[in-house]
Amino acid sequence: MKKLFSILLCVAMLLGVISLVACGESKKPTYEIAVVTDVGQLMDKGFNQGTYEGAKAYAEANNISYKYYQPANGSDASDNDRIAAMKQAVNNGAKIIVAPGFLQATAMKTVAKENPTVKFVFIDGWALGLDNVTAVTYKEQESGYLAGYAAVMDGFTKLGFTGGGGGGNPACNRFGYGFVQGAEAAAVAKNVNVEVKYSYKFGDSFSASTELQTQIAGWYAGGTEVVFSCGGSMFDSVKSAAAEYPNSKIIGVDVDQSSESTQVITSAVKGLSVSVERVLGQFYAGKWDAELANKAQNLGAAEDSTGLPLDTWSFKNFTKEQYNDLFAKIKDGTIVPKAETPEQANNADWLKANLTKVTIIFE
Amino acid sequence: MVFLIQKTLIYAIPLLIVALAGMFAERSGIINIALDGIMIFGSFIGALFVYLMQMNNVFADQPQTMFILSMLVAAVAGALFSLLLSFSAIKLKADQTIGGTALNLLAPAIALFIIKVFFMQDKLVMPKDIGFVILNNDLPLFAKIFFDKAYVSTFIVIALFVILSILLYKTKYGLRLRSCGEHPQAADSVGINVYKMRYLGTTISGALAGMGGYIYIATVAGGTCDGAVAGMGFLALAIMIFGNWKPLGIALGSLLFGLLKCIGPTYTFLDLNGDGVFLLKDLGMPMYFYNLIPYVAVLVVLAFSSKKSRAPKAEGIPYDKGAR
Repeated sequence: MKKLFSILLCVAMLLGVISLVACGESKKPTYEIAVVTDVGQLMDKGFNQGTYEGAKAYAEANNISYKYYQPANGSDASDNDRIAAMKQAVNNGAKIIVAPGFLQATAMKTVAKENPTVKFVFIDGWALGLDNVTAVTYKEQESGYLAGYAAVMDGFTKLGFTGGGGGGNPACNRFGYGFVQGAEAAAVAKNVNVEVKYSYKFGDSFSASTELQTQIAGWYAGGTEVVFSCGGSMFDSVKSAAAEYPNSKIIGVDVDQSSESTQVITSAVKGLSVSVERVLGQFYAGKWDAELANKAQNLGAAEDSTGLPLDTWSFKNFTKEQYNDLFAKIKDGTIVPKAETPEQANNADWLKANLTKVTIIFE
Repeated sequence: MVFLIQKTLIYAIPLLIVALAGMFAERSGIINIALDGIMIFGSFIGALFVYLMQMNNVFADQPQTMFILSMLVAAVAGALFSLLLSFSAIKLKADQTIGGTALNLLAPAIALFIIKVFFMQDKLVMPKDIGFVILNNDLPLFAKIFFDKAYVSTFIVIALFVILSILLYKTKYGLRLRSCGEHPQAADSVGINVYKMRYLGTTISGALAGMGGYIYIATVAGGTCDGAVAGMGFLALAIMIFGNWKPLGIALGSLLFGLLKCIGPTYTFLDLNGDGVFLLKDLGMPMYFYNLIPYVAVLVVLAFSSKKSRAPKAEGIPYDKGAR
């Protein structure tokens, strides 16, 4: 009886394997638009998701097949993992690969050289000297500036900033730098003293962690009123910490995160989906060689790619009119938030220059 | 100070209940190295339950009912999952360490597989604004420690701790369970069904560990189930050994460990006596030092206490009726 059972089991397993193989051979679907994600989740409510949604929106509107690829090993993904993901995308028939995150540079260089007919969009990156790569960067410092300015103008004086990438992510550093500059400008205008807690401590992999949650809860317990959560899934930790302190507030990042929690007062947005859609549009209109090949675009207020979301405005003292005035000044270049951040920003000396009313407490 | 005690409690509670789970299994003679896996499984089923409930708007406005219900679901899931271990260890007389390791490998795989297939991502986040936390901001200082920013799980676990300690030491079931872990042949000779007792011990253990895993992700980990519980199951195992397989020792161990675990993320703004001097920050040690402390402390404490440690004598040995 036992023998019979085990033989049956063997046969069943064999059948399973064969049918799987058969499936693989019978039909090989292709996906024209591919998104290869950065570290962190696809649905991180921020960077990856914003990019993916842009690609998805364009693909669905124009009836083009699309697919996302997550490099193996999650937050510890190596260049080889990214190369594998990109090659898989190419094998699946990708014509254009959208890859968010500056960490993808090496992988993209390798794969783009090998596949000159496939186009690559490098979000948060730079031109790689290859004609099939285009880069899109954002002036994150402008969104950070607006968020910091708005928070202080609204009456908050104890702010916090927690950034991802351990200080080595240029986009996060620019957000943070802009945030501090905006807070300083508003503090000078209102003549109040502002304190900013600034940390890269628990965001190395842009993921939520109990340590981050405890740290932020400690900030709130110590009187910090609003925390700028700058890094993908780190938002979950900040949200959980804020849930314990009903009066505390959060500033979201990359996309409008106000639907995630009632405590989100605003989000420092960068127009990920819009610009991805635009680039895809240019590509499918046949303008790649003329407008995109080996070029880097740096999008900011002038292109309406940075700013705060107006639809979910929840500031009480800082009005939309004031915001629009400030935004116009950034747009026409009257105010230019500085963007020069060090490569490894694991101290606060570079932040502290030219601050008069803002005190930085670096953790 | 209040902040530190609150956070210590939140970290200590899952450790306490899972270490207690380990104790129940080992006291009945089964080494439950699968604590971590059972925690993961329980946490996953619990999170899934909450997710489905919220999708269908059941108990959406009664977070506490939902929390208690989901804890029960997680406990049942843990108990069922632990049957795999007890079946292999008791019925099939397999090596318990290897059986437990298999469960540890199986649980995250199942959880991640289901999350990936059905949710298309690497983790399952319980829906927003879940509201498990109880807020009482206007209490006097001392009451705040227990009743502000508290979770109902804290009280349930403390109650369970008391009840189970009494069960183990003051009732005949407890005595029988313990005897099966010390000398099962002797227990059998007076008519105790050793197999039944061991099944009971492991199942209680599974239920507690499943619940503990769910409490961990609901309170400590921000409602995120990603197929891991940061090795809390193994820490609980260490705490059980540190506590010498006794409830009081375990309670002490989990509080100590909870406190040390808190210091890592909070040392920069800890001001114990309220004089505005941040002693730990001013020492200028790198943060990694503070993150290391709990693990080094466990090593040191175990090294010193292991001489006195007294494990249940028959644990890990499959019961053989014919042996003497």
